[in-house]
Amino acid sequence: MNYLVHLLIYFDIYVIVALSLNLVVGYCGMLTLAHAAYFTIGGYSYALASLKLGLTFFPAVCVAVAIATALSLAVSLPSWRLKGDFFVLASLAVQALLLSTLNNWADVDAPLGTLRNLTNGPLGIPGIPKPNILGMQLTQPASFLLLATVLATFSALILRRLKSSPWGRVLVSMREDELAVRSLGKNVKVLKIQAFAVSSGLVGIAGALYAARVGYLDPSSASLGESILMLSMVLVGGAGNFRGPLVGAFVLVALPELLRFAHLPDALAANLRLAIYGLALVLIMHLRPQGISGEYRIN
Amino acid sequence: MQIIINGLISGSAIALLAVAFQMVYLPTRVFFLGLAGLYSLTPYLLMASRQAGLPDTIGIPATTAAVVVMALLCEWLNHARLARKGASEGVHLISSLGIYILTVQIIAMVWGNNTHSLRTETNSMLRLGQVILTKPQLFIVAATLILLPLLWITLRQSSIGVRLRALADNPSRLGLLGYNLGNYRLLAFGFAGVFAAASSLLSANDLGFDPYSGLDAVLIAVVAVIIGGRFSFFGPAVGGLLLGVIRAQVVWQYSARWQEAVTFAVLAIFLLFRPEGLRGSKTRLEAAA
Repeated sequence: MNYLVHLLIYFDIYVIVALSLNLVVGYCGMLTLAHAAYFTIGGYSYALASLKLGLTFFPAVCVAVAIATALSLAVSLPSWRLKGDFFVLASLAVQALLLSTLNNWADVDAPLGTLRNLTNGPLGIPGIPKPNILGMQLTQPASFLLLATVLATFSALILRRLKSSPWGRVLVSMREDELAVRSLGKNVKVLKIQAFAVSSGLVGIAGALYAARVGYLDPSSASLGESILMLSMVLVGGAGNFRGPLVGAFVLVALPELLRFAHLPDALAANLRLAIYGLALVLIMHLRPQGISGEYRIN
Repeated sequence: MQIIINGLISGSAIALLAVAFQMVYLPTRVFFLGLAGLYSLTPYLLMASRQAGLPDTIGIPATTAAVVVMALLCEWLNHARLARKGASEGVHLISSLGIYILTVQIIAMVWGNNTHSLRTETNSMLRLGQVILTKPQLFIVAATLILLPLLWITLRQSSIGVRLRALADNPSRLGLLGYNLGNYRLLAFGFAGVFAAASSLLSANDLGFDPYSGLDAVLIAVVAVIIGGRFSFFGPAVGGLLLGVIRAQVVWQYSARWQEAVTFAVLAIFLLFRPEGLRGSKTRLEAAA
């Protein structure tokens, strides 16, 4: 039973990741490779806010969302007018800079959370507390699942509401024909900055949930490999609608579990899982560029 | 002086890989991330040939030939088919990313995740005044001094080179003149295979290798392409050398830990303030992208 609960918690976390990334990739049409960095920044912010400031779960998550949202400007502000490969490269540069900062803002002689040692470098942050809500410590997996499901549903509802709002429709129009949207007097720069801010803020929630669940976080969560995996999730499931990212998150969680039935060694199974992802990306681009359940064809 | 020479030598390996990337990007506009998979695979193939008892005089050409064949397969089985369907740059990039992931995971499953080295002996050194060069560094210098001028002569003086440049410039016009664009695209991928194999073997001999070294190397090469100018065949070579010197200075002045941060900060600066690169001509970014 605990095993199923554990899977459902990860499904909830990946649903938030996939839906938030879909806002940028699927609705704005911008391929970003920096999403894992924002996920990890959410996690670090939560960890430091709860460990050093003593904040309970929701205030710490608010800090995580605020910091991830503010740092989203690092991608959106300088690169809002870039397109195609240029934009991918700009997001990659930001991802590398954030990863490098997480790895290097450390000093073994200084206590964790100070200006000299903010991230603890490659050692990461251990002992991240379980969520504390209204004085209750959520140590049981079932109670954590309830919290994760509530937050995933909350994120999904926000994104669904945004998608069907005039703002969401303008985003889709901008993806299809940016010049036409500009000619209608819409401020494309502001729209892109807003979309990035919402997306990064929401993935900050996922990062905080992940940090609270695992109890430990290191910079490897912000690696390029993780960003590629998140992007694959949206592209395999399908971008540009609500169903696609849910399918992608489901595939990401279900595939390793299916491979367990093959009784492969853990290391081999991990490589095989990623190899299947790589093959899926190639096949999907040939056979169904909009993904398993998506609407938007990458251009 | 030693630091600058070290930077120029490591920059030469970056330059070779940057030229490999550019050989595909410029004529086909394919952002060939699969090159990272081929880069990772190359030293493993040489290691396998050594384990099979082949001497390096046979193993190195055989490895290079195998990498070229795989580069051609990437074009023939993937990018050419997508191009015929009129696929966008993004689709090429993602499928290429898929090829990279697939290749690297296969390498990890076959050979494991450990770091290896191609070097079989301790380094002998050559002292030139105040500068000391190791044997692997001399190989890098020699290979760069042979391969880059050869490519320059091929592109400038041969008819094949002229058509490759024409493919980069105006593919529709080249097609209207009756040339088979598919063959020239294949040729571009073949050149990329040669340069990627050379860069990979030289770096693996100098620094060692693991399954995941390819993507980092290719991304640094892409930064060199942006610095040098993405609409020039040889701009990336200049960018590679410059980047090598900058990275060596970072190690000297600060720490190797900051190399990646500075590399991508340089990329960000170029993307924002000089997206056409050092050797490019100014164009509006929206038009170029």
